[in-house]
Amino acid sequence: MALKEEVLKKLVQAVVDGNVEQAESAARESVNAGVEPYKAIIDGLSKGMEVVGEKYDAKEYFLPELLMAGDAMYAGLNVLLPLLPKREAGGKGTVVLGVVEGDIHDIGKNIVKAMLTASGYRVVDLGKDVPVDEFIRRAKEEGAQVIAMSTLMTPTLLSIQTVEEKLKAEGLKGKVKTIIGGGSVSDGWRERSGSDAYGKDAMEAVSKVKLLIESVKAAALQLKDSEKQKPKEEEGT
Amino acid sequence: MEAAKKLGIDISSLCGGKGTCGKCKVKVQNGIEGLNPLTEQELDHLSKDEIETDFRLACQAKLTLPSTILVPEMSRVGKQRLQTEGLEVPVELNPLVKKYFVKLPKPTLHDARSDEDRLLDSLKDEHGRQGFLDFEIAKDLPIVLRESDWAVTAVMWGDRIVAVERGDTTDRCFGFAVDIGTTKLAGFLVDLNKGNVVSVVARANPQIPFGEDVMSRIAYAMTGGWNALNELQKAVMSGINEMIEECCKKAGSKHDEVYELCFAGNTCMQLLFLGLWPRHVAFSPYPPVLRRGVDTEASKLGLKSHKNANAHFLPVIGGFVGADSVADIMAVKMLESDETIMDIDIGTNTEIALGNKDLVITDSCASGPAFEGMEIKHGMRAATGAIEKISIDPKTLEINYRTIDDTPAVGICGSGLIDVLAELLKSGIVDIKGTFVKEMTKQTNRLRQGADGWEFVLAWKDETKTNTDIAITQGDIRELQKAKAAMHSGADILMKRMNVTENDIDKLYIAGAFGNYIDPENARTIGVYPEMPIDKIHFVGNTAGTGARMCLASREMREYAEEISKKVKYFELAADPDFQTEYINSIYLPHVNLNKYPITKGLLQRLGHLPL
Repeated sequence: MALKEEVLKKLVQAVVDGNVEQAESAARESVNAGVEPYKAIIDGLSKGMEVVGEKYDAKEYFLPELLMAGDAMYAGLNVLLPLLPKREAGGKGTVVLGVVEGDIHDIGKNIVKAMLTASGYRVVDLGKDVPVDEFIRRAKEEGAQVIAMSTLMTPTLLSIQTVEEKLKAEGLKGKVKTIIGGGSVSDGWRERSGSDAYGKDAMEAVSKVKLLIESVKAAALQLKDSEKQKPKEEEGT
Repeated sequence: MEAAKKLGIDISSLCGGKGTCGKCKVKVQNGIEGLNPLTEQELDHLSKDEIETDFRLACQAKLTLPSTILVPEMSRVGKQRLQTEGLEVPVELNPLVKKYFVKLPKPTLHDARSDEDRLLDSLKDEHGRQGFLDFEIAKDLPIVLRESDWAVTAVMWGDRIVAVERGDTTDRCFGFAVDIGTTKLAGFLVDLNKGNVVSVVARANPQIPFGEDVMSRIAYAMTGGWNALNELQKAVMSGINEMIEECCKKAGSKHDEVYELCFAGNTCMQLLFLGLWPRHVAFSPYPPVLRRGVDTEASKLGLKSHKNANAHFLPVIGGFVGADSVADIMAVKMLESDETIMDIDIGTNTEIALGNKDLVITDSCASGPAFEGMEIKHGMRAATGAIEKISIDPKTLEINYRTIDDTPAVGICGSGLIDVLAELLKSGIVDIKGTFVKEMTKQTNRLRQGADGWEFVLAWKDETKTNTDIAITQGDIRELQKAKAAMHSGADILMKRMNVTENDIDKLYIAGAFGNYIDPENARTIGVYPEMPIDKIHFVGNTAGTGARMCLASREMREYAEEISKKVKYFELAADPDFQTEYINSIYLPHVNLNKYPITKGLLQRLGHLPL
């Protein structure tokens, strides 16, 4: 038991220290120690990233530390993700993620991607400078429940609005939910643009995505149920 | 805030009235019942005590009753130091505006030439100039000629006669050169007969309330449409017109003796000044609308100079690297140089040019207004009471500082911020990651946990004018790191592109108003620019202004500007795959790779902060 706890601590520390080699070796160690890969990810890597997030908020950690922590987390994920049963590796839902058109700052987006992947979501990373239409096209193609958009700059905020308008126009509003984040984004902008959620950091993004996907799935189920109801009623009468 | 503006009271407005900077705190002495309820932004920025003592944010509070408002010291802008001096580069005087005095023979039965032909012939005979008359002039030409007894002064712009004045006014011929900076305007009244500057004046750019930086001004236009663009254009014109008036007053001249105006500014300033739709320069691939030099009627733009004066905007290069950079490159003669020169024009946007007579490349970095004091808890512009120089004794950790105008401290400005960061690093209070070293609390009580996290006190409250401790927070340091990382990575990327290192650079020119006041060693220590010996570093001041003046004084310089604009290559930092990595590397003080900074590395080792 003690060994498992120890190795989880090593995983946490590897991410906190931004140490890629340590993350990799601790990940392998956890497998050998019999820790379930899912637990190693959530209680090791993600936990480490949460600590990093807290230190970043306190300004103790800054961009370099964030980047290195992200690298360490990916190193660990590369070892552990292939070992997960299909259901847990991306079975919770699909998120299409990208930095909006005109913007190339993707450090934050990459951290969000790491956290979402670690939490069991399938993330389709569209990269940076992603055109409005691309978000929607890929969301449809991949059957995504959520479109996640990030931007650091001010003029590019308008692209977020355009995505919302296009979703409405295609009748997808509600079936595909949106979450936004980034340096220039705020909850105020979420209200203006009509996006469904705002995540102030990667941790919040994960918890909000969870709620968004649950609501999409619940809405889809309701629709199915109400369709099942109809023939029964007819039979009854 | 609007009421204060009308009364001419200078309340700090770093964020342009959006309620995000919290610098416009005012105290309502009476009339509070007539005010709107506290807004969300006010709740964010005002403490419980402040709210209880009737403090509001000037940009959020709306007056409906006559009220008395106290503007506390910390919210005043004070007399700003608006530096305008730049390198003086002599050029061969050959302006486009020239005046000629002619005495025309009176019309007779034998010589019944038209008034126009008479004038043009005399111009040719007496001065060898072939001109043509602007139609508008013809309207009262007959009156002017006869009222001055046929002795008149023809004012020519190129070959066009733009005015015919009574008598001999040849000694009254002026031009006005302007550097339109994102944050400040600098205006120079030039005597076009002698080529010298007769008076200088500066103003804060009146567009600031619409947005502190170029992106937010463009966003303002995007959301507000043509009306918003007109507002932005009018705003800058009003500042320029004020400068023209003030300069003329100082020089004892009249605004209608200003026959030409020459402008330099970054590409966004160019678009907003000319009233061109600015949206697309804000998005990849950031193409300008017009690259070439632009000539247009000054009166159409709303400028108060001679009614037929020409307004010339220098050409731009690309993206946000505009006419200001063309002017910089012109002033330091980069295209003629055998030596490899790097020119960094530090401002809210920092433009960097690198090269020599074979090739010059440029880029633009969004350094942001941290060095102007924004986003910094006790940050302020360079005005009365700003800590502008500060040093920390590495052994005793005692502080020495100097404020502008030597009054009690109100806050800290850009040059002070650079000093602080360097001094904190040298004294081991901050490590190369920019993080406060907590063990140092044992050695100094200035390092402490404040309301916003860890901070270092620079001036205790009894030394200050505002009666609050002036400190620099961990958050402030992060903002400064971001700003200097932008500049440094901008320089690094250009060096990489040109395949040179800092050792290949023969001269480093630091341009921009802010540059002349910073300590070059401290700036180097924290990594604002690549490391090179101090004797290679030269401060050239406002070279954008220099270039604008050169073009005003010489038509050849305008052709040269055109050449620069075509020859110089622009690189978009955002498009470089290494940009983000270089940026992160540059966050460290001075850099993640200390081998690029042997002088600073050696210094920190000697001071015991780095292992040998």
